[in-house]
Amino acid sequence: MPRALWSGSLSFGLVNVPVQLVSGARDLDYHFHQLHSKDKVRVEHRRFCSEEDAEVLWEEVGHGYERNGKQVVLSDEELASVEPRKTRTIEIEAFVDLEQVDPIYFDHPYYLIASGDSEGTARAYRLLVELMGKEERVALGRFVMRTKEYLAAVRVRDGALELTTMRFHDEVRGTSEIPTGGKKPTRKTLDNAVAIIEELSTDWDPERYEDCYRERLRRVIERKRKGATIETPEPERQPKPVPDLMAALEQTLARVRKGDDMLAAREQAEDGDELEQLSREELYERAQREKIPGRSKMDREELAAALRDGDES
Amino acid sequence: MARSIWNGTVTFGMVNVPVKLYTATESKTVRFQEVHLKDGARIEHRRICPKDEREIPMKEIAKGFEIDEDKYVVLDDDEIKAAAGDRGKLIHLEEFVDAAEIDPIFFEKTYYVGSRDAEDVYRLLLEALRRTGRAGIGRFTFHDREYLVALRALDDVLALHTLRFHDEVVDARDLELPTGGRKPAKRELQMAGRLVEMLHEEFDPERYEDTYRNSVLDLIKRKAAGKEIDLTAQEEPEHGDDLAAALEASLGGRS
Repeated sequence: MPRALWSGSLSFGLVNVPVQLVSGARDLDYHFHQLHSKDKVRVEHRRFCSEEDAEVLWEEVGHGYERNGKQVVLSDEELASVEPRKTRTIEIEAFVDLEQVDPIYFDHPYYLIASGDSEGTARAYRLLVELMGKEERVALGRFVMRTKEYLAAVRVRDGALELTTMRFHDEVRGTSEIPTGGKKPTRKTLDNAVAIIEELSTDWDPERYEDCYRERLRRVIERKRKGATIETPEPERQPKPVPDLMAALEQTLARVRKGDDMLAAREQAEDGDELEQLSREELYERAQREKIPGRSKMDREELAAALRDGDES
Repeated sequence: MARSIWNGTVTFGMVNVPVKLYTATESKTVRFQEVHLKDGARIEHRRICPKDEREIPMKEIAKGFEIDEDKYVVLDDDEIKAAAGDRGKLIHLEEFVDAAEIDPIFFEKTYYVGSRDAEDVYRLLLEALRRTGRAGIGRFTFHDREYLVALRALDDVLALHTLRFHDEVVDARDLELPTGGRKPAKRELQMAGRLVEMLHEEFDPERYEDTYRNSVLDLIKRKAAGKEIDLTAQEEPEHGDDLAAALEASLGGRS
């Protein structure tokens, strides 16, 4: 059971549910410490006053902010004075539909658990779970944790109240400056792309994806511990844009329908001549599109050769 | 013009989409610098070796993974890089899932994806993802670390979300949830249901301003003008234990 990071109450109308906040995510990354390379002793970070060149205790540190070229210094107490009232309460302001809240607004996930064994608390908690779980509703509210006020979304996940801190609207950038390339797709290319996506579709199952990076880093640490040399792999080459989008789509569709491993297919195509991978039928289709004369009498090799010549001209 | 932070290629099957990535979110929390209260001078963080009692320059710093108390495996940056794998510039979309099926708890950070050229393939992928409502799942390497990502259509652009791995998400079943006590009564559910309906609305992110950010900026302004700051502490509300009475009072006697 994760430890409580905050405790207070979830307030809904005049109903108050005493709750504790625990993290909904855990950090499984490998962390490194800074060592002094000479003696392998862990380095300490200490605060020094840049004027006096002397070490400064935590109590003597204030918060500096530059405003119109002038520095303003605030103490902990002064900063605490603007924390909003009801600082131990998550006040629900509105209920919205989950599907309307884009994931771009979600920041960090937590769970709310009922604190204390009071009968009333347990019942109020279960009331909220039952109420919001049924219709995929999200409660929006605000609360203060440490020194920051957060906008939070509370919803039901597997019978528990989950709270996600949210970004404010002005913390999400607009998309008007994002370049989106060329023209809208033609119906034919779009149909093909949709067909590929449908062929490669599967149910969302998070357990299918492991953190390979974490595992590789674990192995690097393990090998280093045993004194082995670590080599950095060559990065994959960036592929060129495909010259014929329609052909690439059709070839992909044919392969995914056969159940080919697309990554292996890509590697083959990048290593060797792409045309060598195609059957006579596929080559013939391409020859048709490029209107190569005499194509109906050519065999596989001749078709590939003719298409190669066509590419160069 | 927005500045891109990464460029590479998204692939699905034999199709390559040359892309650039842009940050989609930025924190607007008021950031302070650490200063010495006495003289307002900046605080410097210095790396000190406790054995030598002296400051250590960056070039004498090594990265150590602790395997036992005060016992470290020391790695240099290239060795850590070796774990990044060989897919530095490529995001292969190996499969597609219903975007709405991914529980929001998995979403971590969002980037906007832009086209790196003027070809039509970017909009092809965008429209195909929009029409199917699907997200492409792949892996993405950024700053020598590999992430699991979902690529989907968001408004008029492609968005890339980094995803948490399943073991990084806390399972609700591992929590101590209230099981005792009687179930909420029908009348309580009805009253609470009406309260939810009263507060139900369309999601409009612009209705929520960061009021705390504004108060902090206002505090800075007052302090800069030499005003006295009131340090009065804030109070905590009382909570009642009578659920039905509280619900009734919330509905304003309309039950």
